Amino acid sequence: MKSSRTSPQITIALVGQANVGKSVIFNFLTGMHQHIGNWPGKTVEKAKGTLFFDGYTIDVIDLPGIYSLATFSIEELITRQFILEQKPDFIIQVVDATHLERNLLLTLQLLELEVPMVLALNQADLLPKHGITLDYLKLSSILNIPVVPTEAIYGKGIDDVLKKGLTLITAPQRATLLNYGQEVEQEISTLTAALTPLNLPYPNRWLAIKLLEKDKEVKEIINHEAIRQETQNAISRLEKIHGHGCEIIIAAERCQAVYHVTTKVTTISSGQKPTLSDKIDNVICNKFFGYPILIGITAFLLCFVFIVGNMTSTFLESFFPLIHSCYYHWLGNHFLTHLGWAGIESLLGILTLVIPYIAPFYFMLYLLENSGYLSRAAFLTDNLMHKLGIHGKAFVPLLLGYGCNVNGCLACRIMETYRERLITAVLATSVPCSAVTIIILGLVGKYMGLWWVLGLYFGNFLFVLALGKLLNKTLPGKSVELIMVMPNYHFPHLKTALIQTWFKAKEFFVLAGPIIIIVGIIIQALYLSGILNVMISFLKPITVNWLGLPETVGILLIFGILRKELILILLATLLGNTDFSNVLSLPQMLTLTVVSMLYIPCISTMVAFQKEFGWKKMLVLSAGKIAFALLIGGIIAKIMIL
Amino acid sequence: MNENEISLTHLTHLKRNETAEIISVLGGTNANKRLSDLGLIHGTKVKLLRKAPYKGPIEIQFRSTRLILGYGLASKIQVKKSL
Repeated sequence: MKSSRTSPQITIALVGQANVGKSVIFNFLTGMHQHIGNWPGKTVEKAKGTLFFDGYTIDVIDLPGIYSLATFSIEELITRQFILEQKPDFIIQVVDATHLERNLLLTLQLLELEVPMVLALNQADLLPKHGITLDYLKLSSILNIPVVPTEAIYGKGIDDVLKKGLTLITAPQRATLLNYGQEVEQEISTLTAALTPLNLPYPNRWLAIKLLEKDKEVKEIINHEAIRQETQNAISRLEKIHGHGCEIIIAAERCQAVYHVTTKVTTISSGQKPTLSDKIDNVICNKFFGYPILIGITAFLLCFVFIVGNMTSTFLESFFPLIHSCYYHWLGNHFLTHLGWAGIESLLGILTLVIPYIAPFYFMLYLLENSGYLSRAAFLTDNLMHKLGIHGKAFVPLLLGYGCNVNGCLACRIMETYRERLITAVLATSVPCSAVTIIILGLVGKYMGLWWVLGLYFGNFLFVLALGKLLNKTLPGKSVELIMVMPNYHFPHLKTALIQTWFKAKEFFVLAGPIIIIVGIIIQALYLSGILNVMISFLKPITVNWLGLPETVGILLIFGILRKELILILLATLLGNTDFSNVLSLPQMLTLTVVSMLYIPCISTMVAFQKEFGWKKMLVLSAGKIAFALLIGGIIAKIMIL
Repeated sequence: MNENEISLTHLTHLKRNETAEIISVLGGTNANKRLSDLGLIHGTKVKLLRKAPYKGPIEIQFRSTRLILGYGLASKIQVKKSL
């Protein structure tokens, strides 16, 4: 009998525009057999999974959601490079059947890459609701590629997509390529002929089209003087005839061709009623109701995360003393076991204090994202974000920052340019995360009242606005305008959201875990060797003289770098009980809270920030924040004493 | 219909539910390319769905696509409105 090792192994890739149900199909195909990493050298997620089907071992790559194959964003570049260089055995383009025309624009470009392709016509079940009938067999015969209707959320049609794809391997099918019209086609064939002798590992027709589209990457690949000259001549001939830039001529031809295909295969019943999405949007995006709803949803999300997180965290922490006593009971009480315990304590800290907040936060966020609400939030907040040099899409990373700065930092990848990513990341690491919220509620909330808490949040919001304005003024470059497709509302798919949440939590654990554990051990070693005490007295001018805090707070602030909630936890440990009013006066509480809120992103956030933007920017950010926090903390201390 | 009844304006000047035809996009090559990738080119008929207040973004519909555009970009898109 053949073992599964000798079964033929193939690689396939999922491609598609955003919000077409690609991740639902990916999760259906690979289930829990997937892992998420980054593309080499890039900070774009790469999800890969394996499935066994029909005697094949199939590696499935989930390529990022894109709109075209021009290299405007990193995502598009990656998709293109992957298909051209890794040459998957076939690709599946997931298409939103209710937005066929826009999706076909990408299809035509994918076909030019000359890889076998299957079209998964997703959400075909929603067509009657939109008053559209679609002849998918006709579409299949026009493009000469397999077209399969699917209903991803019920798993319908996905097997069929794979079967059709596998037949393409044994019996290749030549897809119909788009004809760009006589004048453009003439230039394409001249350039194709000139490119053929170069024997480049890419389809020549595709290279020719990209040259006419003035594609920078392709220009660099070819780097051939005669061809550059020939391209230039062709472009000026075409621009002279049409009176538009050559890239626009080609895009217009593509739109035209897609329009023809769409009208041939679809009929839209006249007198369309406003859809449910339209009706909901009249309320959700309304200039009077929209903002209260946005604030309400955000507040609900944060409360949900805080309550669920707090409950889970308290439950998990109840095992702490047991593990602690078992550990020392079995291993004894000496220097090495103390070090070991510091490592375990950090590990348990991630599991009991961080993951319980991250997981529900991501779950809610995926529900909001899949439902389509986040795009509405981007619409509503775009105006405000513009003043900070970013645009509406930055709402997501900033919202994430309130749950956990690390996630906020990582989510900046959705922004298009480096400048926007940097501004968004700096702002996302400046909002109070759930750990800071614990400190705010535990000190200021408990002893000074809710109004002070709201005041702190509002003050921080103003600080973020001012910081954004400052960055926008000082960083070189211009801000990019928002261009975003508004998806229809969907009922979110729970299972996909759960799987995505699981992988996010895992990703966080792998990214931050080892460093948190190592730093925990180092700080413990410093403490045991007495160096930490020296450092505390070294910090005395700052903690005691400038901030007016007790000397021991120095320890708290050092440990707080590891995890901010430790500030509060250690305060209780040092004190022996949780009545903080015994050691801190009200002004001291306020000072400590403000400093904790502002002084430094925690170590996990610094690691995430460093991975995205490098050491230099991370150190500048950290140093800047410490200086600012001490300045504000000192001022508050001085004012409160008056 | 007489020639004078056709008025040139910018996307941001349309009222809710008004339709117009795109004449040109003066938003630079990148923006232009991204819009054409979505199927928004000269000659496309668009309908203004809503505007966010205080020069916020606008939402338009063309064929089956609903698109949000920042105010700055939308103000650079010239359209022809038939009266």
